[in-house]
Amino acid sequence: MNNTVLLFVALPIALGLLLILLERWPRFSAFLAALIPLSLTGLALVFSQSLNLNFLGQQFVLEDSLSVFGRNIQIEANQLGMVALLYFVCFLWNLPVKFFDYNHWFSSLSLIISGFWVLVQFINPFLYSALVVELIVLISVPLLSPRGAPAKAGIMRYLTMQTLALPLVLLSGWMVAGIETSPSAQALVSRGAFLVLTGFMLWAGVFPLHSWQPMLSEESQPWSYSFLLVIMQVSLTFFFLHFLNQYPWLRNLEQLGLVLKWLGSLSIVAAGVLAAFQTNLKRISSYIFMAEAGYTILTFAYIPQGGLDIITMSLLPRIFGLWSLNFATSYLSKNISSEKMELEELKGAIYRFPRTSGLLIISFLNIIGMPLFSLFPSKRILWGIVIADNLVFQILGILGFLGFMIVILRTLNIMIKKPENGGQEKVEKSIMILPIALIVLIMVMAGTIPQLFSAPIQNILLSFNNLFP
Amino acid sequence: MREILNTLPIYIALIAALLNLVRRQWSLNLIALVLQFIFLIPSLLDLFPIQIALIQPFTGIMVSLMLYLTLHQVGGIEPIKLNRSLTPGEIFRALAGIFLLAIIFFFLDDFQKAVFPTVSPELLYLSFGLMLMGMMQLGTIREPLYLAIGLLTFLSGFQLLYSALEFSYLLEALFVAVNLILGIVGSFFIVKNAESRLA
Repeated sequence: MNNTVLLFVALPIALGLLLILLERWPRFSAFLAALIPLSLTGLALVFSQSLNLNFLGQQFVLEDSLSVFGRNIQIEANQLGMVALLYFVCFLWNLPVKFFDYNHWFSSLSLIISGFWVLVQFINPFLYSALVVELIVLISVPLLSPRGAPAKAGIMRYLTMQTLALPLVLLSGWMVAGIETSPSAQALVSRGAFLVLTGFMLWAGVFPLHSWQPMLSEESQPWSYSFLLVIMQVSLTFFFLHFLNQYPWLRNLEQLGLVLKWLGSLSIVAAGVLAAFQTNLKRISSYIFMAEAGYTILTFAYIPQGGLDIITMSLLPRIFGLWSLNFATSYLSKNISSEKMELEELKGAIYRFPRTSGLLIISFLNIIGMPLFSLFPSKRILWGIVIADNLVFQILGILGFLGFMIVILRTLNIMIKKPENGGQEKVEKSIMILPIALIVLIMVMAGTIPQLFSAPIQNILLSFNNLFP
Repeated sequence: MREILNTLPIYIALIAALLNLVRRQWSLNLIALVLQFIFLIPSLLDLFPIQIALIQPFTGIMVSLMLYLTLHQVGGIEPIKLNRSLTPGEIFRALAGIFLLAIIFFFLDDFQKAVFPTVSPELLYLSFGLMLMGMMQLGTIREPLYLAIGLLTFLSGFQLLYSALEFSYLLEALFVAVNLILGIVGSFFIVKNAESRLA
């Protein structure tokens, strides 16, 4: 294992396949599925300074590339921060899995999927990664379609939309190959950029190509769904930066910034407005993913004004915010025995599950970027730039924010209503106070001391050297 | 005569895709899928030596076999009824499919010159025909088997087009993996649906 590709791609995928054999022992399998990505995160961080490590007098040297079918896969030391973050996501989602109803494939497939997302970032030529994304989509099907239920419309639409993205992304690269030498080919560049953006919109479920998200979230277990969406969003963020970094025709395209601003703002406002009318917590959660994708796109538009720093600053708080929100949703889903998670089913939840209900509301406040919480610093900086740039985008953002405020107030209103048939006795385990207090403490600390979350990954985007001014 | 012989496989492959779009008989659909993959071979032979040209059809036939075995296992294979009359839905899909193929046919020359000048018009017609038939299939169904068939048709068309633009062993290997896993996903859906019907 003296090679970064073998260590951070082949090994986890192989171990994930082995975990399938341990399906009969779910606790042991879940333990390994948390331990393995944690170890990989540690190793990636250790080697992120240099691939040459001296430890207790022993010399460990890793090679940084591997040739597969004549093509090169290369993971350099300064790219290992991204690897560490992806495995950290896998670790976070495997850590509390025994608290919830979870898919029995989760332990093994989460590890395999994480391995493939790492692979996506480092294949050369990197356009081929579109096929790896398609593989991930297909592998994720068992996680999204629970046992005993027929395949529903959401999963089918998800497969269809994701597959349609594949030719768009692959053809875009071919279409504008060598374009740098032909500055007059503006039409070709615009066509290529259109294909790339549409491909990414389909992958990430950005407005107006988002219809699979709420449908799929309603059909799936929230924990599996949230894992897949979070790791996808983080990976696609890196992958899009790869595109911008690699292709001068794309990053120098004049209209690109404006298109990204519109796409981001419309995603935020559409997510907020649509969420305000929802009666299902799982669907609301999917609109939160859409809004966060919108914020990321908006940040891409402001890369010349320091957008990369905002991305770095928001990565961990966003991951943690979505994790805590889905922690609360999944815990409540299991304990009120509700697969659908209609808001009405949460009536009186504050009396029966005071801490988890509190965590749900706090997580909502955190994710929309309220002061004191972890996402506030990065969103404040972003909105500062947006206000100075264009008031229209700011108004759209405010409308989206108000939509989510309505969601929070509606959820709170239902949770504090006393149920007609009694049922107000507390049924939440007392031990829950510990993880929940820790989660809230981390959120508040990250909001008041933003460096807490951004310092460990401050060099994570350094490899995109063409994007820095 | 020679020209007809050259273009015949293209039309047979497209008719097979059209048949899959129109008819809803599992046995017939799987036979059509196999035919569709077999008649890709002449177009692929124009691009590659035989060892490489056979990869895509061979993978497609494997996936079709996988789907057949799964359907057989869940009791979904019935004798083919060729004399069954067409339903209004089938007539609509047939007309829509023919309309799409006609549109590609009429705009093919201009499109080929403007976007894909290095690809032959015949190959472009076949690949876009398959992609559009697959997309149409994906837009008109809710049954998992047809989702798998739609995705396989769409991807086979795209794979053919991309092979004409760029070849790489890694790309070919990834396409094979995608097709095989798509077969497994199709089988997974078929089994799930059968299980939930029994429950």
